[in-house]
This record gives sequence, structure tokens and C-alpha cells, in this order.
Amino acid sequence: MVTDQVVFLSTGILLVFLGIASISYSKNLVKTVMSFQVVLLGANLALFASGITGPQSLVGGTRITTDSFVFLSILVGAAMEAVGLAIVVNVYRKYGTLNPSEIRKLRH
Amino acid sequence: MASEILSVAISVAIVATALVALFSKKVSISLIFLFYASTLLGIAFTVYGNALVGLMQIVTFSGAVSVLFLTVILLTGESKLDIGATRLTIAVAAGALVLVVLALTQISPGLVGLQPSEYSDVSLATFSFLWQYRPWDLLILVTVFASAMVTVANLFSRET
Repeated sequence: MVTDQVVFLSTGILLVFLGIASISYSKNLVKTVMSFQVVLLGANLALFASGITGPQSLVGGTRITTDSFVFLSILVGAAMEAVGLAIVVNVYRKYGTLNPSEIRKLRH
Repeated sequence: MASEILSVAISVAIVATALVALFSKKVSISLIFLFYASTLLGIAFTVYGNALVGLMQIVTFSGAVSVLFLTVILLTGESKLDIGATRLTIAVAAGALVLVVLALTQISPGLVGLQPSEYSDVSLATFSFLWQYRPWDLLILVTVFASAMVTVANLFSRET
């Protein structure tokens, strides 16, 4: 039986794999950080879905645990993206491009 | 059954916006659809039980991180913001988002069954004030963020 948990869990896993595929495909560092955000969204959704087992789980505390982890993941992910974007700006100032292969050529 | 339909609709919307964001040629389009994907995820969190996480998702990713992305795109000159050509896309996406939110606000109370009173049993009184947010408040929040994004994108567009 397809439940909300299964739907959200599979969506989260799909988003994670889409993001990873886009990271390997991307030719722009900003798009790479965006792909990382999609991976993060998928991970958060999967984590949130793992706690959806119905309203009765609120009493058992399962829901609180997973939601706390999602909350933490959101904050940590936002901080990591800020750092990633700062690195992107510095790389652009140094090499004048955001294409990873061009940056690799310029380094040598 | 209706709950599953709602979850499938939200999931399809999230995946569709994420796909456009990931595989679009223009970074500005990617940013706009990433904003929508983050907002939809926040709506999903809110509808399925935790308004705190949903609001945090919307405020952090749809708000702060999107503005950060926009700043970096403009700093690096990668923007190529062609708002004139993409006006239709933005309008359709914003309209679809508003429709989804409207649908959720009409359907969600009977579907999810998580009312504010239930959370009082699990000693979450600290955050209980967040449950005072009504669906219309969330709709206004999302609309304000969306209009801010479109406005800032228009401000920095090369077309006037």
C-alpha cells in the first residue's frame, strides 16, 4: 500500500540522486552549489518522511526526534551553502571563470 | 486516500521544480525554480505535521539562501537575467504555486489531523505559538517571498 511515508521517502531519494547527477553534470560552480541544495532538500524530505507513521507517533516521540534532525539539517545545510558560495566568489575573483574544467586548465 | 493524492501532488510538484532548477541552461531560471522547490518542501513540512520545520525551511532556504544565490550570481556576472523572455515562465510558476497553496489551505485541516491541541500533549509548549499561524498567514508569507524574489530579479535585469 502506498502511504504518505512511502511517497515522500521515494521522492526524497529521487531528489538526492538527481542532485548527485547534476553535480557531476554541471559546468558551473553556482549550479553545483544549487545541486547540493537539491541533495539537501531530498535528504531533509526523506528524514522527515521517516517520522511520518501517523499521529500516534507523536506520543511515542519518534516524530519529535526526526523533526529535530530535520531542523538541525536545515541550519547546518544553510551554513554549508553560505560557505560554498563564498568559496565560489573567491574562485571567480582568482580565476575569472566558474567553469571547473577551465579552472583546472588555468591552475597548470 | 485523499492524503495520498495530496502527498503525490506535492511530490510531483517538488520533483518537477527541482528538475527544471537542475537542468535549466540559465542560472536565473534555476534560481527561481529552486526557490519554488524549497517553498513547496516547506509547505509539505507544514501540512504534514510540523509548522516549525516548515517555516524554518521557507525562511532559511526560500529566503536567505535564495538571496545569497542571487547576490553571488550578480557578483560573478553569470546572471544573464532575461526577465523579458522568462516572464511567462515566472508567471506560470508563481500562479501554479499560489494554486497549490490555496488547494492545501482548503484541504489540509481535514487531511492531516494534527491540530494544535495535539502538540500540547508532547510538551512542545515552547513552540506552541507557531501553531497560531493559520494557513492564510503561511500563504501571505509565501506570496511575500515570491514577490520579493521576482522584484529583485526585475531590479537587476538588463532589460528596463
